[in-house]
Amino acid sequence: MAQIPSRPPRLEGKVAIVTGAGSSGEGVGNGKAASILFAREGAKVLLVDFQEDRARETLQLIQEEGGVASTLQGDMTNIEDCQRMADTAMERYGRVDILDNNVGISQRGTVVEVSEEDWDKVMTVNLKTIVLASKATIPHMIASGGGGAIINISSIAGLRAHSSTPYSASKAGVIGLTFSMAADHAADNIRVNAIAPGLVYTPMVAPRMNDDLRQYRTDAAPLKTEGTGWDVGYAALFLASQEARWITGICLPVDAGLTAVHPGTFTPMNQQTRY
Amino acid sequence: MRLAGKVAIISGGSRGMGAFEAELFVNEGAKVVVGDVREDEGRALAEKIGGDAVFVRLDVTSEEDWAAAVKEAVDRYGKLDILVNNAGVSARGSIEETTGVDWDRVMDINAKGVFLGTKAAIPEMRKAGGGSIINISSQLGLVGMNESSPQYQASKGAVRIFTKSAAVQCASEGIRVNSVHPGPIVTPMTEARRSDAAVQQVMVSRIPLGRYGESEDVAYGVLYLASDESSFVTGSELVIDGGWTAQ
Repeated sequence: MAQIPSRPPRLEGKVAIVTGAGSSGEGVGNGKAASILFAREGAKVLLVDFQEDRARETLQLIQEEGGVASTLQGDMTNIEDCQRMADTAMERYGRVDILDNNVGISQRGTVVEVSEEDWDKVMTVNLKTIVLASKATIPHMIASGGGGAIINISSIAGLRAHSSTPYSASKAGVIGLTFSMAADHAADNIRVNAIAPGLVYTPMVAPRMNDDLRQYRTDAAPLKTEGTGWDVGYAALFLASQEARWITGICLPVDAGLTAVHPGTFTPMNQQTRY
Repeated sequence: MRLAGKVAIISGGSRGMGAFEAELFVNEGAKVVVGDVREDEGRALAEKIGGDAVFVRLDVTSEEDWAAAVKEAVDRYGKLDILVNNAGVSARGSIEETTGVDWDRVMDINAKGVFLGTKAAIPEMRKAGGGSIINISSQLGLVGMNESSPQYQASKGAVRIFTKSAAVQCASEGIRVNSVHPGPIVTPMTEARRSDAAVQQVMVSRIPLGRYGESEDVAYGVLYLASDESSFVTGSELVIDGGWTAQ
């Protein structure tokens, strides 16, 4: 038999903070899935959400599986809340190893259509929250003495036009931020990586979906399967774990191959006209 | 176990990253065909692993060898779910120093070998209802570097885009194809370069995480792509390089 011993849970002894740990509706979003998978693999998880009742739903699912987690209300656009979040993780669990930045909102429109206020809002919620949450958490990761892993949820909209120009700009910003943070904090063994989900069906997009649109999005990528928050969650689990200990500064698409092929290969018309 | 019930072929599986992957895959529940031209090392590894692994001689430039490897997987373990195109050779030198023969040898093994392996695997993966192919490229398939060679870089670049071509062609059959792009790894293949202390120091100084990679750093990325945890991931390029190319 192989020499590799049977492995312990992949996040044994680790403490994780997940922002946006609740889902904005029924079902499982990226943050909820990652939270459940982190707990399942042995991490203690601080579930942070602007709406704490949403985080409590995630908590209940984790507790039903026998995992360890707790909730915290927090607005990640506010540095004081971010600081309180990082301090709370240390107080409750004694260390911080993982930060999974999920907070995000959609924002459609061209630069002509979008209001300055909406532009500022999407850049703040999708990009600045990562800066503030990381700013507050990194010193605690360093103090914890084991390096760290930060996962930033970007989007394929940060790689290609997506009829959501402000959203795309914010998600492209996440990728650039990730590269720079990776270089900045490598000396402290803090790894920083991004995930670019494709057209996954999550509670965030569900309100503007119908069966036709769901099918359309499913057919838009080579695999023609519908992605979910779990697909993003498993990628986050991999990047959070020591299995990815030599991976930093990457952007991993989880998109059924959408960005690997010539644009339009699988879409009968420009996506922009459809959703 | 993350690969329970799966059957895999790993080319270049006798040593280095491929050998670690073979052991890791078996540990995660898979049966593994270890293919390599290094017969003694390959047989020893398969023997060490036990009944869940078997060695076949596999010259990746030979279509006959590929057919035999796939047949072995199916005859012995019943099907084929995973192919890791890991076999590869290194080369150093400038464009002017490189001969056409040098070029062809590296392109044959590193690029054509991946094509032939993929071609051989597709029919059985189709029968299995899908599969996962992982092609080992390199960070040198993404960016240029002086301390390499034209043919090595071109071959690894070929693997990168061949992967996307295969991903789009095979997606409708549930076969996922992804590439992995390691930075410098401590393996037998890099031994010569690592033995040059000056080169070693330059290389490490360029890596944000401050060290060479180990075989396991790559193997776990391959495991992720091989498993159903990545069932929504195809055509991607997973860079495992200690942050080198992000700078």
